[in-house]
Amino acid sequence: TCKRQVSQTLNFFNQVLPSPYPRQIRSYYVDWRMLRDVKRRKVVYEHADERLRINAIRKNSILPKELQEMADKEIAALPRDSCPARIRNRCVLTSRPRGVKRRWRLSRIVFRHFADHAQVSGVQRAMW
Amino acid sequence: STSSVLSTDKDKSPASKDDATEGASKRQEDGAETPKQKLLDIIGDMKVEVSYRKKLQLKASEHKNQAMNKLEDVDSEGSVPQGTTEDIQRGKPLNPELVKAASAVASSLPLNKKQTESELLAQLRRHEETTDKQKKGETINIRNIISEMTVKRQSPAQRGARISGHISLEFNEDGQRIRPERWSSQSFDSRSLKVRKRLNIFTKASTEPEHALKTVSSPSIWDLEFAKEIAAITAQPPRNGFEEMIQWTKEGILWEFPIDNEVGMEDDAEFHEHIFLEKHLEGFPKEGPIRHFMELVICGLSKNPYLSVKQKVEHIDWFQKYFEEKKELLQEI
Repeated sequence: TCKRQVSQTLNFFNQVLPSPYPRQIRSYYVDWRMLRDVKRRKVVYEHADERLRINAIRKNSILPKELQEMADKEIAALPRDSCPARIRNRCVLTSRPRGVKRRWRLSRIVFRHFADHAQVSGVQRAMW
Repeated sequence: STSSVLSTDKDKSPASKDDATEGASKRQEDGAETPKQKLLDIIGDMKVEVSYRKKLQLKASEHKNQAMNKLEDVDSEGSVPQGTTEDIQRGKPLNPELVKAASAVASSLPLNKKQTESELLAQLRRHEETTDKQKKGETINIRNIISEMTVKRQSPAQRGARISGHISLEFNEDGQRIRPERWSSQSFDSRSLKVRKRLNIFTKASTEPEHALKTVSSPSIWDLEFAKEIAAITAQPPRNGFEEMIQWTKEGILWEFPIDNEVGMEDDAEFHEHIFLEKHLEGFPKEGPIRHFMELVICGLSKNPYLSVKQKVEHIDWFQKYFEEKKELLQEI
């Protein structure tokens, strides 16, 4: 977080000056687990089509079983991070693995903080 | 100092008008003292410059006269001490005018910058004509150069940029200020380099490396840097929320309203290309489990509205390659 603050202050300097007017840039991830999650997402994106096709061969009853066994071996040979089950929907701001609402990609604490300051659109405290 | 000035004029170096006028004023004072030969030579030098300036001031496009002048100048340049009869004849009626003109210039030097500039231009024009021997339609080229020079001096964009760039508030990555000098020198270079005719302000030795530099860097680096700097200077921070939203829209952060659901999706294919995919099944055997499997695949793809035709065709091609690779193993079964 201190690194983020440093980068933010530097960006603030740039913001004060008239040109070239950049915006606040997040140059560091919150922690290493978030970084690993990002890497996994990239690898999943790369191998997504392959996995889909090989699974289509595996998960049907028409093709011969030998072919399906070969497809099993092939999918096992792909990199481990290409599996989408390894992705964890972490909070975007705090990298909290649990209590994350999907729509906002935020953990419950951060969501509550922003909602109370009226910074989440269309969200109001419930009262009935 | 006077002797040095005289010597420089004698050498016919491309001295600035200021030096010439100072020399002229000094000569006026010392005219009686210095020998007549020296005076005549100096006046001959002066005469050449003033004659050109006068013609350009008149703007009488007398090509013959200019041609004559060119020839005479070439001759005079070539043979300084000799001085042809034509030169002397031309010089003599102009001498008092020369003196008057020189005095006027000297008096006007500290006051009007534009006049000094025009005289400098005259000087430069003369130099250019004498150095370049292939000439056609002199007046037009001169006028172009003059117009370019004046436009350059008076360009508001450059002035505004200069003013804004005087105190550069840009910071490098290291936290050091970007100097405005570099930018201004770059702008001058780009402008003067784009003009094909050389003004010969500098000696030939210095112009050659400029030429080489220009040929190397003209496609990219300095022009890019200059463009970047201009863009950076002109890109001011938004004054209100509307401008901020405009900037976000340009960058792509904000969608364009009213929201178009098909932004980025450029599917030019018709519905029949999505649904009737059997034509892609030509590489497969007509009977057997593979065909059965592929027909199911096609059925699924035809019902998929989220993929483009290209992606669907890629799927089918991948399957074709996969089954071809496994053909040998399949035949064993």
